[in-house]
Amino acid sequence: MVKVYSFEGCPWCTKVKNYLKARGVEYETRDIELSDEARAECEKISGDLTVPVTTIDGKNFVLGFDKRKIDELLASA
Amino acid sequence: MSVYDFTATTKGGAEKSLADYRGKVLLIVNTASKCGFTPQFDELQKLYTTYKDRGFEVLGFPCNQFAGQEPGSNDEVQQFCKFNYGVTFTVFGKGDVRGETAQPLFKYLTAQKKFEGFDMNHPVGPKLLEALQQNFPEYLEGDGIKWNFTKFLIDRNGEVVARFEPTTTPAAIAPAIEKLL
Repeated sequence: MVKVYSFEGCPWCTKVKNYLKARGVEYETRDIELSDEARAECEKISGDLTVPVTTIDGKNFVLGFDKRKIDELLASA
Repeated sequence: MSVYDFTATTKGGAEKSLADYRGKVLLIVNTASKCGFTPQFDELQKLYTTYKDRGFEVLGFPCNQFAGQEPGSNDEVQQFCKFNYGVTFTVFGKGDVRGETAQPLFKYLTAQKKFEGFDMNHPVGPKLLEALQQNFPEYLEGDGIKWNFTKFLIDRNGEVVARFEPTTTPAAIAPAIEKLL
């Protein structure tokens, strides 16, 4: 399952989600503002609280709205 | 009339009177998440920690009216946002700051201190002006809030003494704050 770490009001997070939707990829939203758990996970994955962070396995991740890198991530799964 | 005649809505939805801040020096700012442009949270936090013991408060008013509208071409804008966790100054609930739907406090602030242009010596000054001219020319009309991180300095009597545009960094306001403390 693709996970997108994000928070409301982050326009790049919305762009990532819309891109995944357009590609027909199911994803889970992990809100780092509302959930302490999601915030801790995000920090563990990327070492920072910068989002969007897109990941499948919690190890490889893409920071930001970067279509090419997101495509690569999805292809590697 | 002074800022003490206005209220602000807390994150929890309660009304808080600004009269509760009577006697303090205030910096009122419309904030936005750290999404590339004008990320001034860290500097605001620094001002707050430096002066809070001398009766200084930063009051942040998050606003989505400018969200997702990052000026500058795409390659100049970083395509991610930093979550502003760790800010300890007061941040109120989300609300509008410009136009008909603006919170009364911001209508008052912008009526008290007019827009006098951006600082073109600031690296984003010319870019911000160009982006507004191209995409939101109506924002440049009148004295309404032009963009995120417009700052109003309030003295200990609740009077609005200065307005600083997004192109003035919080650090640059320090001398003006010191004068009022």
